[in-house]
Amino acid sequence: MRWLKSAALAFLVLAMLPLPAILCLPQNSSFVHQKRYAMGTVFEIVIYDEDLPRADAAARAALDEVVRLDGMMSNYKPESDLSRMNRSAHFQPIRIPRELYEIIEESLFYSRHSDGQFDISVGPLVDLWKATLAGAPLPTTTDQASALRCIGYQKIELIPPDRIQFHSDCMRLDLGATGKGYAVDRVAEILNACGIHRAYIDAGGSTIYALGAPPGGNAWRVRLRDPSHKLGPEVMLMNNSVSTSEQSAPSSLGGDAPGHIIVPGTGKPLQTRYAISVTAPSATASDALSTTLLLLGPSKGVALVKTLHNVSAIWIDSDGQRTLAGDGVSFVLAGGDRPIDVSPLRNRVAPTSKAAKELLP
Amino acid sequence: MSRMSILCMLFLGSIAACTPVTAKVLLRVEPSPLPPADKTGIQDVVLLWPLRDLSAAAKLRSQGYRVFLQCESKDLAAAVVAAERAAVTGIIVANTARSSQPAALEPLRPYFAAHKSLTFRVLVPGGKQPQMKGRLVVERDGVLQVSSASSQPWLDTNLALVRLAQSMDPDSLPILYDFHWDTSGGLPDTWRPDAEAYEVAIAEADANRSDVTIDLPGSLQKALAADDSRAWMLWKGIMPYLDFSSHAQTERMLPVVNLGVIVEDAQASYEAINLMARHNLAFESVRPSDLTLARLSSWNSVVVFCPLNKEAVALLRNFAASGRIVIFVNTQDKFPWHSAPPLRQESGATVYSIGAGQVVELAEPVVDPENFARDLHRLIGRERSALTLWNSITTLVTGYHEQGGLDITLYLVNYADQPDNVQVQVKGRFARVRLESPEEPCCVSLPFVERGGFTEFMIPTLRITARVHLDSARESSAAP
Repeated sequence: MRWLKSAALAFLVLAMLPLPAILCLPQNSSFVHQKRYAMGTVFEIVIYDEDLPRADAAARAALDEVVRLDGMMSNYKPESDLSRMNRSAHFQPIRIPRELYEIIEESLFYSRHSDGQFDISVGPLVDLWKATLAGAPLPTTTDQASALRCIGYQKIELIPPDRIQFHSDCMRLDLGATGKGYAVDRVAEILNACGIHRAYIDAGGSTIYALGAPPGGNAWRVRLRDPSHKLGPEVMLMNNSVSTSEQSAPSSLGGDAPGHIIVPGTGKPLQTRYAISVTAPSATASDALSTTLLLLGPSKGVALVKTLHNVSAIWIDSDGQRTLAGDGVSFVLAGGDRPIDVSPLRNRVAPTSKAAKELLP
Repeated sequence: MSRMSILCMLFLGSIAACTPVTAKVLLRVEPSPLPPADKTGIQDVVLLWPLRDLSAAAKLRSQGYRVFLQCESKDLAAAVVAAERAAVTGIIVANTARSSQPAALEPLRPYFAAHKSLTFRVLVPGGKQPQMKGRLVVERDGVLQVSSASSQPWLDTNLALVRLAQSMDPDSLPILYDFHWDTSGGLPDTWRPDAEAYEVAIAEADANRSDVTIDLPGSLQKALAADDSRAWMLWKGIMPYLDFSSHAQTERMLPVVNLGVIVEDAQASYEAINLMARHNLAFESVRPSDLTLARLSSWNSVVVFCPLNKEAVALLRNFAASGRIVIFVNTQDKFPWHSAPPLRQESGATVYSIGAGQVVELAEPVVDPENFARDLHRLIGRERSALTLWNSITTLVTGYHEQGGLDITLYLVNYADQPDNVQVQVKGRFARVRLESPEEPCCVSLPFVERGGFTEFMIPTLRITARVHLDSARESSAAP
């Protein structure tokens, strides 16, 4: 009888609680948080799961995969498949790993749709300006012209199913704008395959994928970069990704401080006052699109976003001016008196290529 | 770190000046059973005061350990009495940060003088567990994060702490610091910290040429004492690092530097200096009163974080005129070179050309230390840098040489959990480059090239730590 009374009381207490509070009650699930250095940044995975050893093993396996992909796609490592390809694909078609083929294929989609503003063949220019970032003198006009000669995604030929050839004697691909996104997608696949359904995957803050939702929540809340510090933009993610791009800050000591994002057409670092965040169903897409749309700027970028499904983009400048586009996840701006749900423009245009279909759910 | 803690650090650093060097890794343990020193590979252990039963100290002594009592300064009198009764090696004075005034520590001096049988060490506050950190803050039901452009790994290091403490009293070597372990995120039945965390902490202290007190968690101590095989598997992974660190040169070495940092208030400029360390700028810090012509001769760039007197300004003017760089941070002072128009004036930065060099004046304090350190790196440039690493953003390098000596020893620590392929450039020409590491006993010759007055070589796999000996041509024939 006493037991029945206690049970009834407990039921009453629970019944009086609002639903979100019930969801937030302590559950058996706890979390695993692992990190690993790869691709020049820190990859982090947070998994909520009731089976912690399983979650731990899944996170470990996923991060091992990121390290493997780094070994394949690094342009710092002379023995990587990318470096090997960059050394020898000028001479004859060479065979490359499936993953490398896939990421180049998807990158070419964004190159075509941005009229070459996004271009993974920008490697020689990136190297030129990267040396400057490390303290080397600014490249001369001759250096820049010489590097520009090597650029052009049209000179990349993919030969199905797994070969590639460069139609330029000095072409070098750089996967800095898509590699992390691709790796994040692979992490999500591995976690899914391991039976993990609540995970947060972060590649150095620039690309984030949310698998499911955290315990007691409907989605993972991510605050977005806001150079104005006025808008407080946020996005709620569930089974989708957000990527943020921004040019490197100007030098605090005066003088030239070239940024790390180079405009393939001019061969010079991008001048922009915007930071951009892009959501998409896959991390590869959000990663590539964030660079593409930063390079395009809001006016041309909105036009590109209109051709894609389930993609949202927000450009914010240092004064707090914002431009939104897309039909994907809504952004929330918390900088005012009360949060505003700012759904981007909803323009549905049929996908224009096979690769764009990947942006469909 | 509070301003008071820094002031106390400076004050206590001066006390420590008279203390002899004892050990490099001190293990802070509980007053409960511990395997003997010849099994753990540790020589020095620390017991926290108050200690209920002094027999714990006696037992540890009988097992081959040198025993220190660690107390707060307010407890020093009682701890000294107990220490002498228990015949321990010495006392470590901690918790100085909470003292209301540095002057309040004056009463400690008589103890140091009166108890010659005891070694006194002073713990520098503000140490942190050396590690590569992520960006996520994980809560019970979510993650806190702000997206950004892709960021470099954040490294928690103690190099800036050690360099600042050394500058406040150059004779107070070695510095002793401690930190608390971050034990979050592990599985319930795994040891936290893991072996790698101990290894990085030991390696970092070795590279900083400083002493460190490391906590041995009670559960691990108990398991080691109980001969638990998993506990011993972990500890045996750590022992090669203890051994490696114990074989470092013990002579007083001078850091290889090209950048001077003039600082009075260590707290106000701590984060900027911390990021300089993290970005491998080869620097040393001095107080304005220690700025001399001789000191300037080993630098090609200077960052000034505090007001200077006329003499110091004149020294720096001549320094810049000879083709070097001086950066004043947060200054509105009038300088002699203001009589000429600046070379450039941009938001917050005014650049003057002086002779063959330049002076950069920043009107504000450093608000973005990460950016400041990168900009400094770029401004100094490779050709002026004494040490440069390429593409090794999780590895820190420090270099040392003997006074007047041409040989250089580099200490490298990789804070990531992935082995690093490290490409190194060192100013100078050397006849031989030799590598040693816990995995690679001394020494393996490394191939190297000379280019434009620099020596370049590569360490193919740096797991956690390595020392690289660069032997000058003059002395290499005598080296083993």
